[in-house]
Amino acid sequence: MKKNDNGFLDQVEDKCGHLLGGCFHCMACSSGCPAVEIMDYYPNQIIRMIQFGMREEVLKSKTIWVCVGCYACVAQCPNRIHIPHMMDALREIALEEGVEPGEPDIWAFHREFLKQVDKRGRVYELEFMMRYKLATGSYFNDVGAGLKMIKHGRLDLLPTKVKKLKEIRAMGDYFDGRNR
Amino acid sequence: MEEIDKLPEYPQATKEHSRIYYYPGCSLMSSAKELGESLFAIAKLVGSWVEELKDWNCCGSSPAHSVNQDYALLLAGRNIVLAERQGIDELYVTCPSCYVRLRTAENTLRHAPVKNDILEEAIGKRYDGTVRLKFFLEVLTDSRKDIFKDAVVNPLKGLKPVLYFGCLLTRPEWITGFDVLPYEAELRSFVDSLGVETKRWGYAKQCCGAHLAVTKPELADSQVDKIRDQAKRSGANCIISFCPLCQVNLELRGSKETRLPVFYISELIGLACKLKNADKWLKKHLVDPMELLEENKLL
Repeated sequence: MKKNDNGFLDQVEDKCGHLLGGCFHCMACSSGCPAVEIMDYYPNQIIRMIQFGMREEVLKSKTIWVCVGCYACVAQCPNRIHIPHMMDALREIALEEGVEPGEPDIWAFHREFLKQVDKRGRVYELEFMMRYKLATGSYFNDVGAGLKMIKHGRLDLLPTKVKKLKEIRAMGDYFDGRNR
Repeated sequence: MEEIDKLPEYPQATKEHSRIYYYPGCSLMSSAKELGESLFAIAKLVGSWVEELKDWNCCGSSPAHSVNQDYALLLAGRNIVLAERQGIDELYVTCPSCYVRLRTAENTLRHAPVKNDILEEAIGKRYDGTVRLKFFLEVLTDSRKDIFKDAVVNPLKGLKPVLYFGCLLTRPEWITGFDVLPYEAELRSFVDSLGVETKRWGYAKQCCGAHLAVTKPELADSQVDKIRDQAKRSGANCIISFCPLCQVNLELRGSKETRLPVFYISELIGLACKLKNADKWLKKHLVDPMELLEENKLL
């Protein structure tokens, strides 16, 4: 049987800088969430699970990766519980602790994006999309959309970069996805 | 009685911008080039010279704050420190998402010395708190309204847009610093001054799916269909967007049946004021707006 972790609530609150005890499960967040249909737990359920100390279930969930941070939930929350910041903290804890991401493709998206940033200081969209496809093995999905973007001159064919790349690399040390 | 019906004039800002420093962000350089060109044309219209923040870097966008808060702070923070070092006191940001990232970092750096320490350690510079971040549209709302009244030589009669704010244009207001309702009302009255017939609807802030359009295209398709369906039900024949990502998602995703042209506000200003090159921006659209524009003789 899985054990509950009573320190989990404190850990998440510390990391995100918000208190999560005020939730009374009115479900305003979950009702208004644009991505709720592909989540495995509702946002308010995640809060309850954190309160119960269900570390493993929370950190392995799809929900924490699916959240795009549109701020609809926190704008509606009567207790102003900052769910987007909570989700950020949960992803960060999951990565720190080496938990397998519940949505590997979304993690690949973030990782490949940040590798671009680390490389040039800016994102070269064309290479970014190629690398994302390589990382996820989704070579033929959504090719039409990409071709359409190129056809209409919406993707730059050449990258630009920052001059002081040393500064960018020093900041990149905070991101440990370089070698993943 | 008549006097009560008269609403007070909105106070006119008199500030002139001779030079506007801007943070372009990655999309302005590639997927949203026409947004950049049209915004700069407008700046010229109000008599301003635009200059890019030198050696800017990516703000970190969603991926950085999604996986590491300090990394997000540093990426955004470097740009703010650059602005400070370049003597820029007001930095205009063109993309709503960059704007929220930069404002979040600015706020954190100003209030948490510990975070300033991390920044200093990484790039050898601290932030002293002298930069004001503004959203590019404030160039318009700060300028004298009569400039536009005179400049609209081609009122866009026949266009029936809905205003699509997306997630981050006004939200969260404690970060963006906008007093949401007056700000939205001001944008609406500004758009009306172009001669269009703005439709009311309830989906102005419904998320377009953002980066899930890449990782979960089916979800973005259904989001976009809902939004465009609501736009059509309200009687709209086009959508006005303020964000590069929203614009792409709303034109690229969703089913054929619900398609609608999605204009940047700046493109419509270009058309209404007959700015140079305005017709060229339209070629970049993924949903061809020409039929709609020709039908209403707006070109």
